[in-house]
Amino acid sequence: MDLDLTPDQAGLIDAVGKLIAPFATQPAGAAQDFLVSAELEDRLTDSGFRDVATVEGMGSLDAVLLTEAVAALAYVTEFAASAIVAPKLGIPAGRPTVLMQSLDAPARFLTGGGIAMIADGDDVRVMDLADREIEILKAPFGYPLGRLRSPESGGERIVGAAPLLRHWWHVALAAEIGAVARAAVDLAVQYVKDRRQFGRAIGSYQAVQHRLSECAVAVEAIRQLTRRAAATEDAQDALIAASYAKEACARIIYDTQQFHGAIGVTYEYPLHLWTYRLRLLQGELGSFAETASELADARWG
Amino acid sequence: MDWSWSEEHRAFRQKIRDVLKKHLPADWESKSKLDTSSAYMSRFSREFCPILAREGLLIPHWPKEYGGGDVDAYHHWILGEEMFAVGDPRSYQYMNVNWVGPAILRYGTEAQKHAHIGRIAAGTHIWCQGFSEPSAGSDLASLTTRAERTADGYVIDGMKIWTSGASLADYCFMLARTGGTRHEGISVFLVPMDTHGVRAKPIPNLMGEFSLHETVFDRVAVPESARLGDEDQGWSIVRQVMHNERIGQPRYTLSMRALDRAVARLKDKGRFGGQSVRADAGRAHAALSAAQSLALKVIDGRVKGHPPDALTSVARYALVAADRQVADFLGAYLSDDLMAAADPLISAAYRRTGSTGIAAGAAEIQLNLVARDHLQLPKG
Repeated sequence: MDLDLTPDQAGLIDAVGKLIAPFATQPAGAAQDFLVSAELEDRLTDSGFRDVATVEGMGSLDAVLLTEAVAALAYVTEFAASAIVAPKLGIPAGRPTVLMQSLDAPARFLTGGGIAMIADGDDVRVMDLADREIEILKAPFGYPLGRLRSPESGGERIVGAAPLLRHWWHVALAAEIGAVARAAVDLAVQYVKDRRQFGRAIGSYQAVQHRLSECAVAVEAIRQLTRRAAATEDAQDALIAASYAKEACARIIYDTQQFHGAIGVTYEYPLHLWTYRLRLLQGELGSFAETASELADARWG
Repeated sequence: MDWSWSEEHRAFRQKIRDVLKKHLPADWESKSKLDTSSAYMSRFSREFCPILAREGLLIPHWPKEYGGGDVDAYHHWILGEEMFAVGDPRSYQYMNVNWVGPAILRYGTEAQKHAHIGRIAAGTHIWCQGFSEPSAGSDLASLTTRAERTADGYVIDGMKIWTSGASLADYCFMLARTGGTRHEGISVFLVPMDTHGVRAKPIPNLMGEFSLHETVFDRVAVPESARLGDEDQGWSIVRQVMHNERIGQPRYTLSMRALDRAVARLKDKGRFGGQSVRADAGRAHAALSAAQSLALKVIDGRVKGHPPDALTSVARYALVAADRQVADFLGAYLSDDLMAAADPLISAAYRRTGSTGIAAGAAEIQLNLVARDHLQLPKG
């Protein structure tokens, strides 16, 4: 047992932090549901960070650590699926990866380019998206969204890989929720320190403090559970992390927005970039109750 | 980062399990009701702790020169996990070995060490903790029990409350005011419970047989040698020796066993098929895992000699939240078993998880600490 990061891991986090720093905050004047940048995507691909799990001496935990950094950015970019999930299915990494629950399901990052990994019964289909026709969807979530226009066929089939896809998708999802939730809570904590009403910082009121403290407990727990799931590679640990993380979404979405007041639902203020991602993530791969119930199946049969 | 136990840690856990298997009676759960505070458990502890001592499992975390094994904080935590999982057959002697003994080792005179350390290390004596008072709970520094100087010692006057195990204990590790106000002017006293003027009256309660008492100190004369450390130094002594106690016991081990048992019983009754019961069970299990993983992170810091930080309060609150889910699960789905007292583990877990939020300090105080120390939010 040793729950500190190794010097290599600390170095990795430091290196990716420097690479993605320009994308950490919302630029002045931006007013969109989400922010994307081709340069950010290129930087992550060219640097080889997406391949970290396949590098000798590194693995899924390192991919999770990088996801914790990348998914917390104001700019949104696919990283968790390509870094955490694809290598586990033997897919050569290095390209943005879209995870889909079925051929006709709407999905995050399904906007053209990269590859898709699609659950299909017990199997997984892997599809190059470069030459597929895609319908871009506009919906109030903090992600680029789309779906396949002709979802009936295509792709290479990996027989019996669906459980493995689901296992690592849960890990990736927990890592993303953990990162996004942490960013939202950090922003709310800073806001209540700065915002003054009735002559004092609103963060000095116990009603506010206790609720943000409960959010902080959830954020720290998600981090530990996700890192553990990545390190043990245990499917039940993955469900524990995903179930706990999904449950926490409701609290974190509500409280971080509530303590911001009206500014938190404007485009000019960046909170929505994270809360609206959580609104989508809490339902990915099923509701919290469905994931908790799947955990019960895994533990007790 | 490595989440797997070393060979040494695994062997240590196995050794504890072997000793428990060998020495706990077959009908342990029904006999003890897994109630740390019961007269049965306290009697049992006076036989069982000497066995642990012989096996090197009573004070393995103490320095070698005082009979310990100098093992790391993970060993100590594993010991706590395995003991708590079966209701803690050490009864309140867990306090002796976790912090009373270490406090005496650190601040005691040679005579005090001579008087107490051997007995604690032998596992034959029980201590209680005299901190809370009717008007000093979360705000402990407002305590008013006084220790007045006399020619040859002190006379202690006042009342302690919620004292666990007081009517079973041989000694009380208590705080009294020797001067000053608030944190200044508090001293620690080691008082034999059979001293004239000490009266412990059990308070009937929902947690355990002798888990709460009103403890009166009525003109209790003690010699100067009953004071631990310097006069007025009590607050810093308690802070020093109790900082590892803020996280409390590894309660999740009993709760995990109870949840597993509850699911097994529900399956036997054909009542574990619906999605709501399965989701609620999964949710409670995830919460217990969260509490466990945060606790291990805190212990990891101890192993490396880091000073305790705000993560301790984070972990404690996660423990409270998890136990609350277990209590709610048992109440919602197994009220028939609870009514019929059909399973001592389930009844015990229901009783004990119901009070995790107040045991070892109110959970809201932990949230205050998270706000102040972890989030650096401004004072109200």
